[in-house]
Amino acid sequence: MTSAFGADEVRPGEIVLEHASRSFSIRADRGRTVKELLIGRSRSTGPPPVEALREVSLRIEPGETVGVVGRNGAGKSSTLRVLAGIVPLHSGRVAVGGQIVTQLELGAGFSRDFSGRENIFLNGALHGLSRAQIESRLDAIIEFSELGDFVEAPVATYSTGMFLRLGFAIAAHLDADVLLIDELLAVGDEAFQRKCEARMAEQIGAGATLVLVSHDPLLIERTCERVIVLDGGEKVFDGSVSEGMPFYHRLMGTEDAVASP
Amino acid sequence: MAYRYLFEQMVRRELRQKYKGSALGVVWYVVNPLVLMGAYYLMFGIVLKQAAEPDYPLFLLVGLVVWLFFSQAALGAAPALIEQGSLIRKARFPREVIPAAVVTVQLVTFLVLFGVLGPLTMLLRGTFDVALLLLPLILVCLLAFVLGFAFAVSVLHAYFRDVAPILSAALLPWFFLSPIFFDPNNIVEQQSAVFALEWINPMAPFIVAVRDVVYGGVVPEVAVLAYVLIAGGLVLGVGVWLFRRMQGELAVVV
Repeated sequence: MTSAFGADEVRPGEIVLEHASRSFSIRADRGRTVKELLIGRSRSTGPPPVEALREVSLRIEPGETVGVVGRNGAGKSSTLRVLAGIVPLHSGRVAVGGQIVTQLELGAGFSRDFSGRENIFLNGALHGLSRAQIESRLDAIIEFSELGDFVEAPVATYSTGMFLRLGFAIAAHLDADVLLIDELLAVGDEAFQRKCEARMAEQIGAGATLVLVSHDPLLIERTCERVIVLDGGEKVFDGSVSEGMPFYHRLMGTEDAVASP
Repeated sequence: MAYRYLFEQMVRRELRQKYKGSALGVVWYVVNPLVLMGAYYLMFGIVLKQAAEPDYPLFLLVGLVVWLFFSQAALGAAPALIEQGSLIRKARFPREVIPAAVVTVQLVTFLVLFGVLGPLTMLLRGTFDVALLLLPLILVCLLAFVLGFAFAVSVLHAYFRDVAPILSAALLPWFFLSPIFFDPNNIVEQQSAVFALEWINPMAPFIVAVRDVVYGGVVPEVAVLAYVLIAGGLVLGVGVWLFRRMQGELAVVV
C-alpha cells in the first residue's frame, strides 16, 4: 500500500495544511528551452504567476466529509492536487495520512488502447496495489461499473459515461483512507450518481475522509457536513454546510437562484 | 516494494503500446536492431572491408549490440515522462518507474540479442575462458550506466524540451566515434587520439570490456574494468540524484 507522505505526523484519514502557498506560471508551452536557459531570459515574459493557494491552513479529521467550493480558478483543483501529493507546495506544509485515492479527472490515467480490465490493473497499480490485491477486487469493480462485456473492449471505444463509471468503480474499491474527488459525478446518469453517493457514504461510514470539489451545491449539501469556500487562492469560509452554502451563494451572487430551504 | 506491480504494468505498457496494432508487435523490438546490424555488417564488413580484426562481423556485432542497448534506451527514455504525462498529472506514484520501464524493455531486447550473439561468438572463435566470469559484473555496470543516463535525460527533457533532439543528433557522431567498427589502435597513429577515443567517450570502455570477454576471450585491462565500475556507479548515482531533485514539478511541466 501507499505510504503517505508526512505520515509520521498524521493519523490515517487526517489532513493537515499549514500556510500552504503555491503559484503557477502561465505559459502556452510548459517546458523551458535550452536557449532560454543559456541566455538567462526565462519566465519574465507573459502574464505573472497565478497564485493558486495563498497561505491556506486547514485541518480535517478522519471521517469528515468536506466540500470545497469556489469560482473557477479559486484554487479548488490545486488544493486537491496538493493534497494528493502530485504538486508540491512553494511554502507551507501538507500532510495526509493513510491510503489516498484520487479521482481528479474523467478517465485519468487510462490507456486508450488497453481494455477496461487492463486499465483496472493499471489504475490499481498506480495506487500502489499488488496484482493479488487488485484481483481480489476485480469482480466487484466490474460489477459496479456496469460495463458488462465492454470491460474487454479498449477504453478508446467507451462513451463518457462508461469512462466515468469505470473510473469511479475503481476509485470506490481501493480501500481509501482519504478520498479526493474532483467534480465527476455530474457526468453520470441519475441512477449511477445515486449509486456513487451510496458507495461514498459506505466508505465514509467505514471511516474514510472525503474531500469533494464540486460546482453542484445540492451534491455538496447531500454528501458533506463541512464546506470550505476558496476565493482567489484564499480560504474565505470554513464551517458547516448550513452556514457555508449561503455564504458561497452570496459570494457568487447566486442567492436568488437557489430556493431557500 | 509497494509499487513493484506498477513497474511490471509499466513495462507491459511500454512493450505493447509502441507497436500496438502492428502485425509483428513485440517482435519489432528485435527486428529493428537486427536490420541495423545487417546493414552495418554489409557496409563495414563487406563493402569497405578494411578492418584488420579476424572474424570481423563478430567483432562488429558484439560492439553494436552494446551500443544499441545504450542508444535505444536513451532515445526511448528522453520523451518517456512527457508521453506518460496523463499519468503524472493525475496520480502520485514513484516517477522513476517510467524511465526504468523503458530501460527494462531495452534490456530484455539486449539480452535476447546478446544471448544469441554471445554464445555464437564464443563458439565460432573458441573464446570460452574464465574471463567469462567477469561478464555479469560488466553487464551490471553497463545497466547502471544506461539506467543513470536514462534517468537524467528523461527528467531533463521534461523541463528542457531540447534535450531529446540534442540527444538524437549527438548519438550519430557518438556512434561513429565509439570503437564499434574499429579498434582505436588500428586506425590512428597519435597516442593522444587513441587515448581520446578509448577514454573520453564513456561508452568505449563498456564496449571494449564486453568485447574483450566475449570476442577476445581475455580478461579486460584493469584500467578498463575500473573505468566501467566507476562510470556505472557514478552515472547511476548522478542520474538518480538529478531525478529525485527535479521530479517535484513534473506534474506541472509535463
